[in-house]
Amino acid sequence: MIPGPEERPEETDMELIERWKRGDSRAATRLVGRHSQALARFAASSGEREGIEELVQDTFVRAFASLDSFRGESTLRTWLFTIERRLMLDRRRAERRSRETVPVEESDNVSEYGALDSLIAEETQERVRRSLAALSPTQREVFTLRVQQGLSYKEIAEVVGSTEGAARVHYHNAIEKVKGLLKNE
Amino acid sequence: MNECMNSEIQDLLPDLEHGQLAAAVRQQVEAHLAGCESCREDLRIIRTVRSAAVFAPSIDAESVVRQIPPYRMPVPAKQAPARNRMVEWLVAGTVAVFLVGGGALLSNRQPEPQNPVVIQETPDNSGGVMLPPSPTPVRVEGHTPALSLVADTHELSDGNLQQLMDEMENFDALPNSEPEPVFAIDTSEGR
Repeated sequence: MIPGPEERPEETDMELIERWKRGDSRAATRLVGRHSQALARFAASSGEREGIEELVQDTFVRAFASLDSFRGESTLRTWLFTIERRLMLDRRRAERRSRETVPVEESDNVSEYGALDSLIAEETQERVRRSLAALSPTQREVFTLRVQQGLSYKEIAEVVGSTEGAARVHYHNAIEKVKGLLKNE
Repeated sequence: MNECMNSEIQDLLPDLEHGQLAAAVRQQVEAHLAGCESCREDLRIIRTVRSAAVFAPSIDAESVVRQIPPYRMPVPAKQAPARNRMVEWLVAGTVAVFLVGGGALLSNRQPEPQNPVVIQETPDNSGGVMLPPSPTPVRVEGHTPALSLVADTHELSDGNLQQLMDEMENFDALPNSEPEPVFAIDTSEGR
């Protein structure tokens, strides 16, 4: 028996993209369902407090609008992270301008990380949260992409616009810092 | 707790957590973990951080898709009509012929500039013809003295010209510098 559209074996992202281009909106639904939670987690880990759903939606709208520029050289998820990260940076810049305060640097990102305040209850998790908050924004991005999303160093380098070696160094520095902070608590 | 110096294993811990390791590598990492407290601590941190992220809000895929505009086929940019390579070569050849021919024609029309000989006024103590002083050095083309003489004569005033003519007559009156023919005389006659 030939499997129907709903019973197809796992299609690749590229196959779903081609189906969407031919007018199959269900392919878009599957793509969004496949990657939306990872994008939401990345946003939460990066310190987004509000509008994570809106951020994820904007990411997909932008991505689908420029799917012709996606060559498949990286995974679709890596590409989506790159778009989402740019949107987050744009948001933060806009927030800084609206606040008209001193430029926001490392210390400000610590407060942005308060996104997880209401999410992590356990004591150990709270300690980890504080440790992550002490990381530099790049260290935190690299660390969460590696630990939470399981991206390779090459993929992380693409997302944060760095090199594979630099991503590796950021990861090792981050985990050493987290360990050191946890010991001192 | 001693710090682990095996950075290769440390690098693989997130992949172990995400189940991305091949069976053989996974066994290798697990064997290392059994004897390394530092790496076990790293793995605990990785698991905690990962579990903390599950609290991100859930996304309704359908509502996201409703915001996505339908796909539009990109319009290919208007391409310039394909040009005939033969015509291009013919045009290039014609231009080249005109350039070379025109250049050759111009070079024939314009005499090659030679280094002009500038006759400086120098006091002539040899008794020759004294040329009148001219405000600017006289430019004479070529090196031939005759030409320079021709070029010079029109610069002369009437008085100087007359003087030159007189000098030339004197030249004719000069004695012949050639040696006189010597005739042999037979002196033995009458001895």
